[in-house]
Formats: sequence, C-alpha cells, structure tokens
Amino acid sequence: MQLTVDQSAILDGAQGPYLSTCMRWLVEWGEAMGARRLVPCSNTHALLPVPNLMARGASPKTIDAYIGGLREACTHRTAPGCYCTVHTSFVTLDGLDVPENDPEQVRLQQELADMSAEAGFIPTFTCAPYLVGNVPLMGEVCAWTESSAVVYANSILGARTTRHGSESAMAASLLGLVPEFGVLFDENRKGTLRVEVSAALKSPTDWGALGYFAGPLAGLGIPVFHGAGRPSQDDAKQLCAALATSGGVTMCHIAGVTPEAPTLAAAFHGVIPEHSVAFTPETLRSTYASLRKRTGDAIDSVILGCPHASIREIAEIAALLKGKHVAAGVRLWVDTASSTKGGADAMGYTRTIEEAGGRILCDTCPTNLRMGARRIVTHGFKQAHYARGMVGAEVIVAATEACIRAAVAGRWMGDE
Amino acid sequence: MTNSVQIRCRGVVKGHAEGEALVADAMLSFWGEVDAVTGKVIAVGHVLEGQSLGGKVLVIRSTKGSSGTPLMLNLAKLEGNAPAALVNVEVDSLAVLGCIVNGIPIITDLEQDPFAAIRTGDRVEVDADLGILRVFALNGDL
Repeated sequence: MQLTVDQSAILDGAQGPYLSTCMRWLVEWGEAMGARRLVPCSNTHALLPVPNLMARGASPKTIDAYIGGLREACTHRTAPGCYCTVHTSFVTLDGLDVPENDPEQVRLQQELADMSAEAGFIPTFTCAPYLVGNVPLMGEVCAWTESSAVVYANSILGARTTRHGSESAMAASLLGLVPEFGVLFDENRKGTLRVEVSAALKSPTDWGALGYFAGPLAGLGIPVFHGAGRPSQDDAKQLCAALATSGGVTMCHIAGVTPEAPTLAAAFHGVIPEHSVAFTPETLRSTYASLRKRTGDAIDSVILGCPHASIREIAEIAALLKGKHVAAGVRLWVDTASSTKGGADAMGYTRTIEEAGGRILCDTCPTNLRMGARRIVTHGFKQAHYARGMVGAEVIVAATEACIRAAVAGRWMGDE
Repeated sequence: MTNSVQIRCRGVVKGHAEGEALVADAMLSFWGEVDAVTGKVIAVGHVLEGQSLGGKVLVIRSTKGSSGTPLMLNLAKLEGNAPAALVNVEVDSLAVLGCIVNGIPIITDLEQDPFAAIRTGDRVEVDADLGILRVFALNGDL
C-alpha cells in the first residue's frame, strides 16, 4: 500500500504508540483486502462496549486487558471534522433489574461514556445511528460498525462503508482514514443475486423475513430485490438487519427504490442475470416458521426495538397498548436510543407504555444482557436468531401488532 | 508413518499454525454465535453447534453476521480459546481484521475444495507465509 509521508510517520510512531497501532491495523487490513491507499473518512460509528456478558466468566485479566485498550483509545481525540457516534453499550445505564447488570460493569461503561465524549465521540449508544442524527450523505466514506447499520448506510443512504469492527472503526475515528477496498469502489457495488419477490410484504417484520431468507443465499454478495415494493424506513431497517444476520451482506439494492438502483438493470450495472431466486408467499411463511420452533405458547418476554426502535415504532407501540395492560409475569421491553426516548417522553408515548406495564430501555441490547427469558416474542429477525443461542430462550418472531397481542394475553395468540 | 497432502493457497493474514481441523461448509458469526470465553459455538441449529473452536483450524465458507466478530476473537484470544487459524473459501473483511489484531493466520483460494480435502479431526498445518496447507490425515488414510 502506498502511504503518504504523514501516514508513514504515524505508522513509525511520530504520534505515539497507540496511533501507530491504529495505523498498522488500517494498513495491514487494507493490504490483506487489496487496498492500495488510505482515503479520508468523515463519519464513523465506533464500538466501545464493556465486555459484560459477551465475556461472561472471563478472567479479570481479560476484562482488564480489554478495558485497558478502550481507555487508551479514549485518551486520544477524534480526527478533526470526523462525525463519530458510538454503538450500543452492553449495560444499560438506567438501573435495569437483571442479575447480569452488575454495578461494576455499569460504572465501567459510564467511565467509557465520559472518556469517549471527552475524546470527541457523540455517545449515542445505539445500533441505529441513522435514526438519531448520524445520516451520512450519498457517497460519503464512512467507517461503521454494527452490521445492520452498515447495510442500511450503503443500501438505503448510498453512503460507503465496508463492514468495520471495533478496532478499525476506532482507528478510522482517530485518524480520519480508511483503507480503500470493497464497496468503496463503484464496481464492487454491483448486485450479485436477483431475488424476485411475489409475497406481499405487509409489515417491517415481513421485510425482515425477506432479508433472513436472502442472507445465506447472498453470502458475502449483494442481493437485489425486485417486485418488493417500496419499504418504509422501519421496513428497510428490518431488511438490512436480517441480511447481516443470516448472511455477511455489506449492501443490497431494492430495484426502483434505493439510490443506486433506479432500475433492476442499474442494480446489476447493466446486465440482469437470468437466474433468480423466488420469495413467494410460501417462502414468507416458512421463513417465519424457522424462528418459531417452540414447546408451548406461554411467554415471559416481548422484546421490541431490534434494531433500536424509531420514534414512529414507539408511537405505534404506545397506540397499540393504550388502555391495555401487559399480562402478569411478562416483561415488555422497547429498546431504543436515549435521544429517541427523550422524544417519546416529550410526546407522552413513554407514559402510555409504562402505564400499560411496559418499559423503554435505552443504550443497550437485551440479547447481550442475556436476560433470563424462557420464551421471547420479538419483531426482529436478528433478535430472534441470536436470542436462541445467547439467551437460551425459545423465540417467536412476529409483526409488532401480534407481539403486543401476545404481551397482553401472556401467550402467543397467532398472527391475526 | 504419517501421510500428508500439501495444498497451495493464498495467505491473507500471514503466520503459521497447526491444529486439529474443524470443518463445515457454513458461515459463522463470532458475536452471537460463539461464546468467547468457552470458545464454543452456541448458535442453535448451526452445523457446528456445541463444538469448541479453541486451538482448532477452522475451515468454513466465511464469517458472516455481526461486526462484533473481531472483538469476540480478541476476547477468545485473551481467554486462550481462539481458533489457531482460519481457512475460508470467501474472505469477509471482519474475519481479516480479527485475525490481524489477534495474530491469527487466515488463508483462502485453496487449489482444492477444502470441504473435500480436509475432514474434521485431521491434523493440519497452515503456513500463510508460503501459502501452503498441509493435511495429515486422521489414522493416516488419505
């Protein structure tokens, strides 16, 4: 890789050992991925979690080493002009009553929140930065963690980010640079799989089903959806999250909708492949069924907001819950960013949800908390997929309305 | 007597490692599908569910899913339960980043189909510097 004089100097330690390490990560990563240079990056979404239950049972030495790295990173400043937000923290900061939410972890997370803010990060603590103000422009070079947000940024917004991990996003935040490879180039944004959609998609979760189906077929490629109609922002959020759960997708196109796919042919840069896979009403049904295997219908948890809920979703949940109450023994959690909850507070949605026995959680992800749940109803395919192994719960994935019906009844009541 | 075959490949992240092969024609996310502390696959219904990755040469199609993969590889490495090497058919940028940060070699572009040439339990040697994979067959029968 060809480095500038300044970049070489940083690599050689001119700005200290940590930035030298950051530069080495970017250079070695770029070289392995075929990059020839580093290019400016003006927008990042970094990952600064305390280990919490990602490393349940980890030795104090591991935790110290991990936290030490984050502390060291946060003694630096974000690159001038780089808009840097922060991913979900894995401990909620508002006193969530689960045994795993231990005060020491909360203290560490608060320390990192303060340090990252001091370093220039905006501590959004969300998996959906595009809902809370970090909305990169078309063509903007970004370095985002959170696989679902990467797909959203590339596909829906037309921004350009490869799939970043915590180390590369931190390096990009501090250096304002990323290695140029993958979807940063026009030619690597061409569709690789044609998906013909004949099923009617009636909810965001239906769009999640489409993504969950297409992810493994696309692998690391770029699926193109044709015939799916026009998604809402919430629909698109579910589609992108599911694609990056069952697959390793960096971006997709929705023909006639997303900015780089005005037509089906444009999504494939001119030549529409003859072969396609079909997403039919039957495929939609079987995709739901794949995340509904269970031994009973009684439920103890309804988890909404994966990825983090938008204000519109919170408004919908509040409207569905108005005048009703969540069944005894059922926890109803709506996960969102704290700034979105601020809006929900102001608009009265929080009160409605709380009066119904539900709760809005900020900053966190219950799947990472591994809350003690036996059977979870959720509207997110991503949550349903991971919760089985991470929480050890049975799952039922369903549209929001059916989730709320289950919450009120205390048992799965079906889709309609 | 040990029989071995030598397969040419491309080293993506340099290094040298030996270990027992764990082989599946599947994709895997290290966050959410692997417990970093035990090194075990926790994904329900995954073909590798319950298998330990620690010290293994992991032969899979590619990583997928979460951007937490490098972070989880880091935690697994600190706990001594990271794979010794990755052999991938396709290369996900997240696997590469995780391997660079944690000093784990990763190879791809094998001149033979790895899912035919390598079986779970085979002892394998990955030389990502020279671009060579050596397979020492289980029970010596290749």
